[in-house]
Amino acid sequence: MDTKGHILTEFDDALTSLKKNTIAIGTLAQKNLENALSGLTQRDTALCNQVIADDEEVDQLEMQIDNDSLQVMAKFRPFASDLRMVISSMKITHNLERISDHAVSIAKRSRKIIKNSEIDEISYIEPAYHQALKMLQISLQSYSDSSTELALEVLSMDTDLSKFHKQATKTYTKRLEEPCDHYKTYLNLVFIVRWIERVGDLATNIAEDVIFMQSAQDIRHGGDLED
Amino acid sequence: MIQIDNVSFSYDLGKTNVLRNISLDIPEKKVTSFIGPSGCGKSTLLRCLNRMNDLVETSRVTTGEIRIMDKNINAKDVDAIELRKNIGMVFQKYNPFPKSIYDNVAYGLRIQGIKKKDILDAAVEKALRGAALWDEVKDRLKDSALGLSGGQQQRLCIARTTAVQPKIILMDEPCSALDPIATAKVEELITELRNDYTIVIVTHSMQQASRISDKTAFFYLGELIEYADTDTIFQNPAQKQTEDYISGRFG
Ligand SMILES: Nc1ncnc2c1ncn2[C@@H]1O[C@H](COP(=O)(O)OP(=O)(O)OP(=O)(O)O)[C@@H](O)[C@H]1O
Ligand SMILES: [Mg+2]
Repeated sequence: MDTKGHILTEFDDALTSLKKNTIAIGTLAQKNLENALSGLTQRDTALCNQVIADDEEVDQLEMQIDNDSLQVMAKFRPFASDLRMVISSMKITHNLERISDHAVSIAKRSRKIIKNSEIDEISYIEPAYHQALKMLQISLQSYSDSSTELALEVLSMDTDLSKFHKQATKTYTKRLEEPCDHYKTYLNLVFIVRWIERVGDLATNIAEDVIFMQSAQDIRHGGDLED
Repeated sequence: MIQIDNVSFSYDLGKTNVLRNISLDIPEKKVTSFIGPSGCGKSTLLRCLNRMNDLVETSRVTTGEIRIMDKNINAKDVDAIELRKNIGMVFQKYNPFPKSIYDNVAYGLRIQGIKKKDILDAAVEKALRGAALWDEVKDRLKDSALGLSGGQQQRLCIARTTAVQPKIILMDEPCSALDPIATAKVEELITELRNDYTIVIVTHSMQQASRISDKTAFFYLGELIEYADTDTIFQNPAQKQTEDYISGRFG
């Protein structure tokens, strides 16, 4: 946002609170993702259940942010960067809500995996997970710092994520080709690594929203960022 | 349509310029808004376009020139009255004459020497229809214009302006005294008039400028800060001063 305050401080307060809530939903979504993965790797069913319960909070906050954004638009009629800030916050919130949904899906599959015996190959999801998590963290940072540079960094991380996703999937499908005891677990892991990749895509969307907010440039679907 | 070329303007024989080096091209059959804080010179510039400032004896265009349809309007051989036939003006305070509705609209045509009743009738009806006022007043054309509501009076003033079929219509805060519904009607009217006229409008309403205009010029302290497509001005202005002003930030 701008250094100069609005003539109406109420308008400033509303924008500040919108930003605060968007960061809050980001923190929750990230926590849910981390808990889902810890639940899986530490074989902690309680933690998986917590993810499913905490997603409620994310849904509530999403509705609140939508509502607050509508209020800001109706009441203060924002223009230019203020308008982009409100629209972007709504879109970012939506992306974060979906990230949390993916965390729930991961948690549900993890509960199933935990019921079966432990396998070593779980560790193959880790490169993809760490990459996706980092993309999410940096995209949230780029929003809270209004930083186009950080947002661009997120975009540059997507190639590696796809690579890690492919490697893990390949490993698991290979195992599935031969008769094995853990085929259900491998299948669930294929799903999980797929959701992890989706988290990275959503983090990319967030980064694109931040770039739009900062520069009014739409770089989705192949658009290039101009100076 | 209108070329404003490096124009500076003074009310006191050139001691102080209230407009400085303004250059902008106003396109034909489009709506162009002038916005900016009070006292920045919007009305002054608007009044330069039909030489209304001539009424202030010490006023001068101190640099540059204004060309309308390729003619320098301040050239010696241009008669201000003649010029104004092509340039209608609608003011903030709607100002119908204390005459009948019919006579208000027919006024300009009568000045032009048109006397035939059927021609006047047709022109009055056309102008009132154009101003979306016909249905509301057709049964009381002989009543005093002052008996109309504020919004109707303003639309009557627009009909009075369009009756003489000018090329350009200048509007100085035409809706500032109107309620939201009357404002919406005038805005809708402006949007329709764009098909036939070049319109320049001064407004303090950012919403209005963004709703009705194709081009927007932002002025600050007598200078043109930014002039661009309205969408650009309100979505992604190039100048920080413009953004601060339209966003309601401290100037
Ligand atoms: N008739 C006049 N004689 C002398 N100075 C004038 C005259 N009319 C306007 N001014 C001065 O010229 C400057 C520009 O005034 P102008 O009326 O054009 O501003 P504006 O942008 O239309 O403001 P507002 O939004 O308040 O209508 C102001 O400093 C004003 O005081
Ligand atoms: Mg004025």
